[in-house]
Amino acid sequence: MVTRFAQHVRTIVKAAEAEARASASPTVEAEHVLLAISALDGTDAQRVLASAGLDHHAIKLALEREVHQSLSAAGITIDPGQLPHATIDPSRHLRMGASTRTALERAAKASAGARQMQPCHLLIGVLGAQAGTVPRMLALAGVDQGKLTERVRSTTDEKTQ
Amino acid sequence: MSDVEIASPHDPADGLAAVAALRRLADQMENAEVERAMRAGWSWPQVAEALGVTRQAVHKKHASRLIAAGVTLRRR
Repeated sequence: MVTRFAQHVRTIVKAAEAEARASASPTVEAEHVLLAISALDGTDAQRVLASAGLDHHAIKLALEREVHQSLSAAGITIDPGQLPHATIDPSRHLRMGASTRTALERAAKASAGARQMQPCHLLIGVLGAQAGTVPRMLALAGVDQGKLTERVRSTTDEKTQ
Repeated sequence: MSDVEIASPHDPADGLAAVAALRRLADQMENAEVERAMRAGWSWPQVAEALGVTRQAVHKKHASRLIAAGVTLRRR
């Protein structure tokens, strides 16, 4: 199966790398893709996220809480933002983490039958995670992951018809 | 937003999430601390020994990043 990517999807993937750099992550993870989707104006995917209260700022805050909560389960109370600064080589291309690769596989499946992979397909891929940072972050933000996924799917279906 | 409810630490979901978060934290700390040590004039063998890894491993992982950051690296 050959997947063609809409221009918006390429833009999101690039922006996700910038999000990963900004949070000092050595890999691009699904949460960085989600942040990038939420920051790209004029897409259905961004509108659906915003309607669930998930704008870029809200996602960022919920992600910080997720890290804090997960570390405190291990008895760690450090704020990762307070660590000494590490310089990241700007010329180095960041690898895609496992969560992003899995999200892209799900997105490719979701876009089967469509002409191109659209941001909504990518969002379906990210929201398909059963465990990990994104589902935990959504729970902390008080968002019903299943309902949100359904809303994205119905938006995508309307467009395809 | 509601208050954070920390579920029982016996919940494997929390345990696994803690492992993932600790790995990310350790990576971030390693990047920051290696850079700090090299800026302070530590050598690769010293940093490697302090981390408990080989000199080759620490060099491979951090050299290009630190060179790009303009850190003056000691030969030995």
